[in-house]
Amino acid sequence: MAALTVPTHRRPPAIYRAARALRVVSAIVLVLLILYAGTVAYSAIEVARSSVQSHSLSASFASNGTVEIAGSFTLSNPGLYPIDKVALTALIANGEGVFLGRLAVGPNDIAPSSTGVFPFAIYLPVSVSAAESLLTVDQTLGVNAWGNATYAYLFPLSISLVENRSWGAPFEGFRATVRTPTGGGGTLLVPVLVTFSNHANSPDQGTLAFVIESSGGIVCGSGSFPINDAAGALYDQTENVAVSAGCSLTGGHLLTTYSSGGSTVPLPPEAIP
Amino acid sequence: MSGSGKVVVPRQETGGYQIPSLGYRILVAALRLIPAFFLLVALPVAALTFVDSRGIALPISVFAVEGWGFLLLGLGTAQYISKPTRAYGPLMVVTSLLGLLYLFYALTLSPYRFVIPGGSASISAGYSMFLELVMIVPAIGIIVGLLITAEDARAPKERLPFDFPA
Repeated sequence: MAALTVPTHRRPPAIYRAARALRVVSAIVLVLLILYAGTVAYSAIEVARSSVQSHSLSASFASNGTVEIAGSFTLSNPGLYPIDKVALTALIANGEGVFLGRLAVGPNDIAPSSTGVFPFAIYLPVSVSAAESLLTVDQTLGVNAWGNATYAYLFPLSISLVENRSWGAPFEGFRATVRTPTGGGGTLLVPVLVTFSNHANSPDQGTLAFVIESSGGIVCGSGSFPINDAAGALYDQTENVAVSAGCSLTGGHLLTTYSSGGSTVPLPPEAIP
Repeated sequence: MSGSGKVVVPRQETGGYQIPSLGYRILVAALRLIPAFFLLVALPVAALTFVDSRGIALPISVFAVEGWGFLLLGLGTAQYISKPTRAYGPLMVVTSLLGLLYLFYALTLSPYRFVIPGGSASISAGYSMFLELVMIVPAIGIIVGLLITAEDARAPKERLPFDFPA
């Protein structure tokens, strides 16, 4: 019986098969990486177009003798990849370089096609001598900020920012002066003049209380001014205070405090000539 | 090979193979150059030029990108043209090795730090993890080149029917 010959495909050698398999893997990896890089570039451009926006910045006096600057900023992520571990830290110093406060935000993640909202609050201790001038002197604050994030899983980003921000004092040029007393007998009327300009962004609304102290530390008289001074407005008011004729004002002090919303901050004392 | 009442399966090639002419291989290699040129030279140079036009310092010089790009393009073209020869494996090793060196060079430049023009902000962008993933491709290329070199040394032309089936 004749032999039956069946032609068949020959199998490639093992080394060749291994090389071919690796080339397929390599081609798949390359295509995936190109697609990934392309979409990352597109998404990054979209994120860059939607810039960071700051909202609702407000300043108020806190109960612990600080000025609280609160606000929020939003960062949109219209891209295809998440922005992970978004964190921001900022140090604030006054015009003389003295550290005033620290801001820390995050870390938070921003999912693709969403917007991250980052509330923040900075507390500037105006009752401390280093920061006391923030109440009464316009100045330039140094802001040293840095932040970190990871974009699209593989790209760590960091940003550092050194910036000067102008600070408008809520009691710029504050002066509390004692004018020449009038009257006679056992009681004198002492005119107390308070002037300042509100250079802050928010109105001064509260009470300005003052105490007239003699050189020996004895309280000679006291009074208060209701304050409702709009942002940018000048305040100039005088109040007559009854003072005992035996109380020596010369060499004394005029001590002033500002109370608003349950918090009280001292203003710089004024010497009475 | 044969016997009464048995089916014999001879080990033979299936129709042999046909190696394209040198001119045809050059033509195909030239066509392959087009996407490779965009990937290795045109797109990176365009991106760098865009960044440079915004006054931002470049992470790598345009000259270096063009130099490495054209070198890899030339070697890739030579590799394709030499596919039917024993030089194919070694050329693949050399091309992949140079590609790997190029990526190592780019890796040493990560992170990319630049100052935003007109401002006091600086940004640092790291891309080393991405490049390490890209390195998989030339690393595999080196292995494949070594395997093909070994295959050609063991049995010259044995792979040709599979690379160029008739």
